[in-house]
Amino acid sequence: MAIDQPKNKDAVDTMVEVRNITKYFGDLKVLKGIDFKVKRGEVVCIIGPSGSGKSTMLRCLNQLERITDGEIYIEGELMDQRKNDKTINHIDADRLQQLRCDLGMVFQNFNLFPHLNVIENVTVAPITVLKANKEKITKRGLELLDMVGLKDRAYEYPVRLSGGQQQRVAIARALAMNPKIMLFDEPTSALDPELVGDVLATMRQLADDGMTMIIVTHEIGFAREVADRVIFMDDGVICEEGTPDEVINHPKEERTRSFLKKIL
Amino acid sequence: MLTSTQGWAIFHGSILTVEIALVAVFFGVILGIIVALGRISKNKIANALSWFYVWFFRGTPLLLQLFMVYFAVPIIYLNVTGSTLVIDPMLCAFVTFSLNSTAYMAEIIRAAIESIPEGQMEAAKALGMSYHQAMRKIIIPQTFKRLVAPLGNELIMLLKDTSLVSTIALFDVLRTVKTMASSTGNWVYYLYAAAIYLFLTTVLQVIFDKLEKRFGAYEKR
Ligand SMILES: Nc1ncnc2c1ncn2[C@@H]1O[C@H](COP(=O)(O)OP(=O)(O)O)[C@@H](O)[C@H]1O
Ligand SMILES: [Mg+2]
Repeated sequence: MAIDQPKNKDAVDTMVEVRNITKYFGDLKVLKGIDFKVKRGEVVCIIGPSGSGKSTMLRCLNQLERITDGEIYIEGELMDQRKNDKTINHIDADRLQQLRCDLGMVFQNFNLFPHLNVIENVTVAPITVLKANKEKITKRGLELLDMVGLKDRAYEYPVRLSGGQQQRVAIARALAMNPKIMLFDEPTSALDPELVGDVLATMRQLADDGMTMIIVTHEIGFAREVADRVIFMDDGVICEEGTPDEVINHPKEERTRSFLKKIL
Repeated sequence: MLTSTQGWAIFHGSILTVEIALVAVFFGVILGIIVALGRISKNKIANALSWFYVWFFRGTPLLLQLFMVYFAVPIIYLNVTGSTLVIDPMLCAFVTFSLNSTAYMAEIIRAAIESIPEGQMEAAKALGMSYHQAMRKIIIPQTFKRLVAPLGNELIMLLKDTSLVSTIALFDVLRTVKTMASSTGNWVYYLYAAAIYLFLTTVLQVIFDKLEKRFGAYEKR
């Protein structure tokens, strides 16, 4: 298993930095000024009630949604700077494309491409975007599928896989682009309980291999075990953050306590 | 019974019918994709142009469109340039039927594209694909299955609508048998035409049913 991480000594240690971002949908203010940093190799779990803006926050990072105000930096490099829904600092289009490829994303509903078989799902983006050599990337894709335990299903169509298997393919698919940061939006929420374990195991392995990960999840047990840091979001703001022990076992804020009481 | 001259005439008429339908469907699909992309585009001009196109060609009779191309265009040409323009009726049929079917295809293709779940475009974008790449590799290929049935319907409608070309000096299968029927006073010729239309539409139906099964493969459990 090889996730390419730069071994450069002076490499910037802050992988993601978000400064004072806000996001409006029409008149609805969904993100109300968010700041945080994620260090290289750090696993950050974001928890919080439904509708608190967790998905929106992740989607703003890879520009599936555009922020209204604020700044986003990837490895210290400005990726997005906006004010009142207008881009202030225009990033070179090719560079922006590159930065977006540094962020892999896994969705709640997997979103595999149903018209492509498993290995094609994994290789289509590297072939299309990175112009990767088909033979080489297929070999690499099979390695990734092996890592998620699905090498023997490489030539089947997604519809024949269980939800848990589809989600592991989705992880392999994101990894095939060699991202530096992986974003997970409730990756196990759509799964039957007995299928959750395999997906979490894959994510844990990824964390052990040093991948920088931002994970929105309701799996408190997983967060407690794997996260380096837990962020509790409520109503568009970061309400509390700290180590899993601080946030989950000894929450300071009343809102955190009442949320945890509800879901534990 | 048919003389061999009559047989050949009917055969040629049928070929002409099929030719117009196939040409119209071919250009209809290609241009229809472009108009459909215009319809869903965020670009206001592309959007307005393609809206207008569909509005015009679906909102006026095909026969009128045929007359406009065949009769009106030469008159306009004469008024503007002072010289006469002779339009080959076959070319005129190709152009008119293609333009008309483009409008219908565009709506079929647009509906198919819009029926693909949004998560597909998002997943493609999250993997670094541009809108263009995502459309080409992810979205449009997924519409094929959903396009097969409406495309078959459209082709069958077109095939029958080609009978309108008898008004612009073309001998399609219907006009051919009508001429025979009125010169001999025998109605049986109409049955030949009916049999040919039925044969052609049935063949199309069978082909499209097969295609639908084939494209459906990846959605079967
Ligand atoms: N595309 C959108 N348009 C309008 N409102 C949206 C959109 N996406 C999310 N919202 C709203 O933003 C709020 C936060 O949503 P979301 O980020 O999905 O929360 P969470 O992931 O924490 O459940 C919700 O009130 C939701 O209805
Ligand atoms: Mg969410």
